[in-house]
Amino acid sequence: MSALRKKQNMSTLKITNLHVSAKDKEILKGVDLSLNEGETLALLGPNGHGKSTLLAAIMGNPNYTITAGTIFFDNKDVLAMSVDERSKAGLFLAMQYPSEIPGVNSSEFLKAAINAHREKPMTLFEFYTKLKNAYKEMGIPFEMSNRNLNEGFSGGEKKRNEILQMKLIDPKFALLDEIDSGLDVDAMQIVANAIRDEQKKGRGFLVVSHYARLYDMIEPTRVVVMINGRIVVSGGPEIIQKIDSTGYEWIKTEMGIEIEKDEQPMNKVSIGVCATNARVNGKKR
Amino acid sequence: MEKSDDNMNITLIDEQIKNMELVVPNGESLVLNLAAFKGFPNTSISVKVQSNASFNGAFADFSSGSGKFIINVDLIGDGSRCDWHLSSLANDVDRKIFDTSVTHNAKNTEAEMSNYGITQGSSHLTFTGISSIKNGSIKTITRQVAKIIVFDPLSDGKCSPILKIDENDVEASHAAIVGRLNEDHLFYLLSRGISLNAARRLITLGYLKPVEQYFNDEKLIERIDASIEEGI
Repeated sequence: MSALRKKQNMSTLKITNLHVSAKDKEILKGVDLSLNEGETLALLGPNGHGKSTLLAAIMGNPNYTITAGTIFFDNKDVLAMSVDERSKAGLFLAMQYPSEIPGVNSSEFLKAAINAHREKPMTLFEFYTKLKNAYKEMGIPFEMSNRNLNEGFSGGEKKRNEILQMKLIDPKFALLDEIDSGLDVDAMQIVANAIRDEQKKGRGFLVVSHYARLYDMIEPTRVVVMINGRIVVSGGPEIIQKIDSTGYEWIKTEMGIEIEKDEQPMNKVSIGVCATNARVNGKKR
Repeated sequence: MEKSDDNMNITLIDEQIKNMELVVPNGESLVLNLAAFKGFPNTSISVKVQSNASFNGAFADFSSGSGKFIINVDLIGDGSRCDWHLSSLANDVDRKIFDTSVTHNAKNTEAEMSNYGITQGSSHLTFTGISSIKNGSIKTITRQVAKIIVFDPLSDGKCSPILKIDENDVEASHAAIVGRLNEDHLFYLLSRGISLNAARRLITLGYLKPVEQYFNDEKLIERIDASIEEGI
């Protein structure tokens, strides 16, 4: 009876027939997916097939347009929520490329983020203690809390900083977008430990990664594979090993699904920034 | 003309900011703190810095109105230095122009000029200025940074820093950025539960608050803090 009640109270993220476009190109072409609290769902797929798009769309990234479908979180319409409301509802996205935000102090930002999820602001002492412990656990020097948000951080530091935020904000569901890229072996262990701690608390995870190494450490409960903007395979952890050793060709041969090639977009160009730094040594003119 | 004493600190607020010519004598240093909270100071200040002397200027501008503020720093002595930091908030229908220039007229001179601004409402903010290195001013280093963030659709900003270099053996750099709130930055902050207003506040603090570190008077720093909060 108590197990049934627990099941009824369990948080669920339910995505139905989701279609998402970016710059007039349809990327997700009808995604159906559900994730329960306590589950760790591994999302795999070739580059450019929509994994990051799905995570960004769930969080409400304005660069993506939802053209059809629904996302419900505990029966609440996620698509009707603003981005900050989605966070307050319990969703968290650890980004593949976290923004460097000039001028925004890391600890001021973290204080604002933590307090946004509380009715009463945290006392300074409580905040300082919590912050110090989190930095220590993530192996990040505490002095970095005084630096501008992600500015000048290495790739690995940025990723650890994402997990640090996840720990401090304490969401119900965390969406991790290639959190293991740019991490060395030690940092990977720290990140995996942090994820395991949250798994024990019953948090739900949707984890995108290309590598079996992270998945081996966090032991996903289910695995789905996204091809051509749709979920085409669903199953257990054995799928990760299969993909790790043989790639995605078997999906074509066994299921007859043609895998579209990834078309890399042009790099973004930033106009309006001008900087020169020249040093000329030698004889005067 | 006002002549500075040893390691002189000058703090000028609102109408105290007037046209003036300052000289920093050999080996000495001058700290000039300016703060405007009422009307925009239409003012021209010139500073001559002699050998191994330094000029450290900072201006916190929260005034309203329109006009042009000019500061010209002339590094006339070998080994002289100039540090200039401005934070300006333009609101409503303000039309503010800041012309901040430095001239390197001697060897081993160094200058850092940084101007940060935020425009709101229908205001306009312009940062101009010339970093000029004269012939013979070898081993000179000059840096010039101008950044304006445009908050509202009717507000606007313009940065046009200029480098004029007539010497080879120097280091010179300039950076100018004018932009609206970056969507990716905003999404990042919002995705952590921070509201749009709180996100704007964090970004505004990041642009305007750093100037405080160049001020000496604690009460004045508190007043600048209050103006930043009020401006947000």
